[in-house]
Amino acid sequence: MQDQHSPQSESNDSHIDPSIWRGMTQRRMSRRQMLRAAGTGAGALGVSAFLAACGVKGATVTGGSTPKPGGVGSPSWWAKQKLNHKVNFANWPLYIDVLKGKRPSLEHFTQLTGIQVNYTEPISDNLPFYAKIRPSLQAQQYTGFDIIVMTNNSPPLGYLINYGWLTPLDQSAMVNFHKYASPLVSNPSWDRGNKYSMAWQSGWTAVGYNSSLIKNPGTSVDILFDPKYSGKVGMMADPQELGSVGLLKIGVEPATSTESDWAKAAKVLQQQKSDGIVRAYYDQDYITHLKNGDTVVSMAWSGDIFQADLNSKYKDLHLLIPHEGGMFWTDNMCIPMYAQNPKDAMTLMDYYYNPEVQAVVEYYVNYVCPVPHAQQVLLNPTGWAAETLHALKPSIGLPFSTVANAATVFPDAQAVQASRPYYQYKSQEELTAWNNLFLPITQGS
Amino acid sequence: MTSSEGVAPSPEGVTRRRRARPGKVLAPYLLSLPAGLWLLAFFLVPLVVMLSLSLQTCNSGTGACVMTWHWGEFWSQLSLYHTQFLTSIYFAGAATIIDLIVAFPIAYWIAFYGGSRKNFFLLMLLVPFFVSFVIRTIVWEFILSDQGIVLGTLKNAHLLPQNFHILATGYAVVAGLAYNYLPFTALPLYVAIERIDKTVLDAAYDLYASKREAFTRVILPLTIPGLFAAFLLTFIPALGDYVNQQILGGTNNTMIGTVIQNAFLTNLDYAGGSALSAILLAIALVGIFAYARLLGSRTIEEYL
Repeated sequence: MQDQHSPQSESNDSHIDPSIWRGMTQRRMSRRQMLRAAGTGAGALGVSAFLAACGVKGATVTGGSTPKPGGVGSPSWWAKQKLNHKVNFANWPLYIDVLKGKRPSLEHFTQLTGIQVNYTEPISDNLPFYAKIRPSLQAQQYTGFDIIVMTNNSPPLGYLINYGWLTPLDQSAMVNFHKYASPLVSNPSWDRGNKYSMAWQSGWTAVGYNSSLIKNPGTSVDILFDPKYSGKVGMMADPQELGSVGLLKIGVEPATSTESDWAKAAKVLQQQKSDGIVRAYYDQDYITHLKNGDTVVSMAWSGDIFQADLNSKYKDLHLLIPHEGGMFWTDNMCIPMYAQNPKDAMTLMDYYYNPEVQAVVEYYVNYVCPVPHAQQVLLNPTGWAAETLHALKPSIGLPFSTVANAATVFPDAQAVQASRPYYQYKSQEELTAWNNLFLPITQGS
Repeated sequence: MTSSEGVAPSPEGVTRRRRARPGKVLAPYLLSLPAGLWLLAFFLVPLVVMLSLSLQTCNSGTGACVMTWHWGEFWSQLSLYHTQFLTSIYFAGAATIIDLIVAFPIAYWIAFYGGSRKNFFLLMLLVPFFVSFVIRTIVWEFILSDQGIVLGTLKNAHLLPQNFHILATGYAVVAGLAYNYLPFTALPLYVAIERIDKTVLDAAYDLYASKREAFTRVILPLTIPGLFAAFLLTFIPALGDYVNQQILGGTNNTMIGTVIQNAFLTNLDYAGGSALSAILLAIALVGIFAYARLLGSRTIEEYL
């Protein structure tokens, strides 16, 4: 009786139907037993085999950067493709012209070509988006997107190219591109010959500062390391952005830097943090803190500063592209492998290199325009562009010439010269080494 | 069941009845099946995948992982990020204690003096939490900004020095955590206090207890299980929180949740992130088991 804990004896005390008691108590007993059994059973069977069987499946990487004759992306393959009159376009949020809930440039495209565009904005960061489409690519399946937009300062674009997960573009269909693309984005260092990508928009990661509090900002990146602004300096949490500024600070070109340079840059950045100069490492919210006055000088993206300036409340915010260089990044349209509507995608991508179309987009988004000719369209719009620009004007409230003459939209020679490319990682090990140097700075405790 | 109720309880009758209903034996299992499947699909399987991943070696580019039984991962992650673990425990603990101190009088008042409007007051407590906690935290970021409506005003009145700031400090993170997890503390406390038979208080006073004695010797002991449930429900989610620190914190107060998030999203380091998650889970489990030993498992079941 002592060692027998009988559930039935308990049920005698209760007024509830004994069968319910029995059921409940039995369930409890058996649950415990089951757990124990599961524990020992799994041990006997070997947890090892079980654990090893779970997890992420290995990828079969096809590799190969040149299309095989007749393979995907070769001229003969492209010749066989037909228009499906639909295209799935994945872009970043707030990155295209919008008027009363509609997107004029896309509607115009549909009118001209009869191709329906399913435009979505699922990309808010390169790596997480890459992680989302990767399983489909591994399984050699359609990702659901015919066009994706990836930044050249983050590893995924390189991964996609190296693993053969991008469809080589149809060079013969890039008529507008070859005619109008800016030298900043044609034949770029991250994709020689534009084999896989066409720029959507570009921008600088430079220095934003508040001119009401900083009268004499100088021309150097040193302003971010100035003890005068202790606790009022905003830095970016992204390891690629942070590391690149560190390299500029020690006077090294990021694109040609070596691992020992990275270590030196990390040391300078660590010092900047331990001296209490950095207030915090921010993501996209750095601009809020710069606007609120939490920071007086911050690493900043050119488009954000341009847009903040338009509001009279924040007209004291200015962009400084340091003489050491401003990191120049580009968001690139590419066609993922196994896309179902590649020809429609090519048509759309080249359509955006029409200066008239680009002028409309640029009037709305204000990043660095990949089509210099759009400047002339903005100054003297005609036809569809004029109509659309005038329709957009009330909601944007900006003279076309302001955008056309902005050096951060149509860069002058000086800005072009100050532009610096990011380091391109040659291997997984390099990226790990980079992150292991710069991530500990942002996530200190 | 009711139809057989009229049958005389003869020995044959009993055996016939038992044989006739195999469903009766199965019923509890069938009833628990949905919950069991739920746990299997959304808890057990992900848990096993996580533990498995933490022992694999992954290529962050291709996403290919190979089982290498790399137990060293746990040690290397722990040696890299032990301070972030300690910060998390410290912040979550501080926030939980603040919550207990704040929530207790609220719960006590609603339970004892809420009267017929108890439900209304409880709803009032919960209404702010119908809005996503990320949005509420961002609003705090706005309210507490250096030149914002609170600090800016006080600074202009020269009540605070110009370089005073709350954002980007550990205090802001703890305050954010305490604010966001308050209902998780208040509700179990309310349940515990509500259960107290009000007449025991009268009994205490009849026995010449002062108000303070009645509280410390009657009310408090009776609410201890609720206090512990509140502690667990607040402390454990706060421990893994990664939103408050990122929005309200600064350079030297990273919590482990942020590190795990970066491991998965910035580094695509699934092995490292899984190892860190497993360690965090182990810490939380140790907490629960210590509690179970202290109070017995029955009180957990009653209040959680």
